Amino acid sequence: MAGEDTGSERLKVRGIDLEVLRRGTGRQILLLHGFQTIDPEARFLELLVPRGEIIAPSGPGFGNSPRPKDFDTVYDLVHLYLEVLEALPGDKLTLVGFSFGGWLAAEVAVACSNRLDKLVLVDPLGIKISDRETPDILDIFNKSPDEVRRRSWHDPDRFAPDFNAMSDEALVVYARNREALCLYAWHPYMYNSQLPRWLGRINVPTLLLWGASDRVVTPDYGRAYSRLIPGARFELIEAAGHHPEIEQPEAFAERVAAFLNQ
Amino acid sequence: MQAWYHCENVYPFVPQEILDHAESVRASLPNKYCDPKIAADLFQECLDEHLLCDDLGVNVVSIEHHSGINSLYGASPMILGILARQTKKVRILSLGTLITIRPDPVRIAEEYATADVISRGRLEIGFVKSGDSEMVSGNANPVGYVDRFWEAIDLIQKTLTSHDGPFSWEGKHYTHRHVNIWPPVYQRPHPPMWAATGDPETSAELGRRGMVNALVLRGPEASKRAFDTYRGARREAGLAEPGTDRFAYAALCYVGDTDEEGIRVGSKTLWFLNTSLKQSPQMSKFLPGRIPPEAAAQNYRTAPRPGAQAMRRPADSLIGITAEQAIARGILCAGNPDTVYTQIMDIYDKVGGFGHFIFIGRSGFLDHQEAEKGIRLLTKEVLPRLPAATSTPDARPAQAAE
Repeated sequence: MAGEDTGSERLKVRGIDLEVLRRGTGRQILLLHGFQTIDPEARFLELLVPRGEIIAPSGPGFGNSPRPKDFDTVYDLVHLYLEVLEALPGDKLTLVGFSFGGWLAAEVAVACSNRLDKLVLVDPLGIKISDRETPDILDIFNKSPDEVRRRSWHDPDRFAPDFNAMSDEALVVYARNREALCLYAWHPYMYNSQLPRWLGRINVPTLLLWGASDRVVTPDYGRAYSRLIPGARFELIEAAGHHPEIEQPEAFAERVAAFLNQ
Repeated sequence: MQAWYHCENVYPFVPQEILDHAESVRASLPNKYCDPKIAADLFQECLDEHLLCDDLGVNVVSIEHHSGINSLYGASPMILGILARQTKKVRILSLGTLITIRPDPVRIAEEYATADVISRGRLEIGFVKSGDSEMVSGNANPVGYVDRFWEAIDLIQKTLTSHDGPFSWEGKHYTHRHVNIWPPVYQRPHPPMWAATGDPETSAELGRRGMVNALVLRGPEASKRAFDTYRGARREAGLAEPGTDRFAYAALCYVGDTDEEGIRVGSKTLWFLNTSLKQSPQMSKFLPGRIPPEAAAQNYRTAPRPGAQAMRRPADSLIGITAEQAIARGILCAGNPDTVYTQIMDIYDKVGGFGHFIFIGRSGFLDHQEAEKGIRLLTKEVLPRLPAATSTPDARPAQAAE
């Protein structure tokens, strides 16, 4: 995926150089990726293009975006994406965050709802809901790769990455993405304990989409999440795990389109 | 040459069937498989071996590993404290408290200073970066651990050498606004410092800092590379050529009355490599931070491409090794006294000399009596024949405080 002519461009924000995937025209839809950067060949992208201009940056350290020295916290990422909002023309845009990027999108929306018209969170991480001895979020670093694979996908044999088939470049990006994620989110693991208090500040229409088979973060976690955002809708996508946009791209795109058209 | 006895205090008594079925023998193996009564016996035996070394004039090493069968020495400063009081003569090397998984280096400096005082200035401080399963059991971010390693060393050194009231540290990884430890170190400016590492960047920095560079179970070729890098970095920095007192070589080692006995008993230490290194993939090859992504990528393939080299941890190549292979690779020295002397000197020549020989004299099912016999034979029959260390001109030996 890296380095090929797949419509990837660069975006510079406050001196930080980002790889960015851009497709289509019209209403701006900013996508924040999850554990892995967004595959330019992904079917769901193609299906979203008629809905507007897709802008999908790779966070510093992810994909082919370099990570500036001392840029190493979720605080940095949130402020970077706030800067990206400022840098994009237009009054308001739609923000879509996947998984880890869903956490970042929720943080951005808390800080800056006035720049958004709609918010879509897809199996987002970022909060702690259960007691102190019950982890809400699967530890993708400390659990076995087999378990992570099993719990991430509804149909792992069909959708989990096939490392043997991936190019060297794609594997390096995959490893870079894991390293960056680990740097930002190792501790506390994938959540901000203060975030639930502030989710009530989000005052744009919000949709939480959840893979019904997600066992990285379960639908019950998603329901609890949605209750913390005023007026948020929670919808399940059947036959999908943590990445419904990949396992059920048509259903995913339909739900997003319906929400954007309201 | 200085000799150092090193014992990991391993726990080999978990049934093999359990180990075979466990994804890892570290970090995630339930501690119900460790009988505290047996552990108590092992601690007594290993500490007694250190006391025997004190009688014989052989220095001792206090190591640290966490949460696994490979070592029960999880809380190294406690062991240092015991050795500081119970030994009387020899030097004690901490190799070392895992600074990259401890949140506050000032507390580590406090523990080191205390052990240095109790021992009346016999402490040497070694640093290890750790990695792998200890990042998991230590809840420490594996990404960026090398930066933490150096900042922790800087803060510990500053803490040990500050005697005029509190100072403040607001670093990248550590903040501590009021540092003023009591007691101060016994040795001035501070106890000698070491680090165990094999990677060129770290060896070069050790060279510039004049710290002792120890290589543990890395064989003569990798050790020579590290030591050459150390020398080169000092030359580039305009520093004096190091003596062999800056270099330490560590191997499994057992001396018997005969070659047959030395190899038969010494082979038992290979348990450490063949059984206790088993770690789950998420705690080794897939753990971010240890291997650069450009090299780590190949680890994901189950069917490697022709010509592509997966990058593994150095220890991976030791799993499944035989005694003959281990001896040939300089990982194990075993045999009668003459044989072991020849093996050590062969390594010495290949490496280009070292002033410290760290011998891992007990591991696996090698028992206490066997360990003591090996220590005695090595001390009596081999060590006196090893060459003296040469000194490094600008590495001033630490002195007792005035």
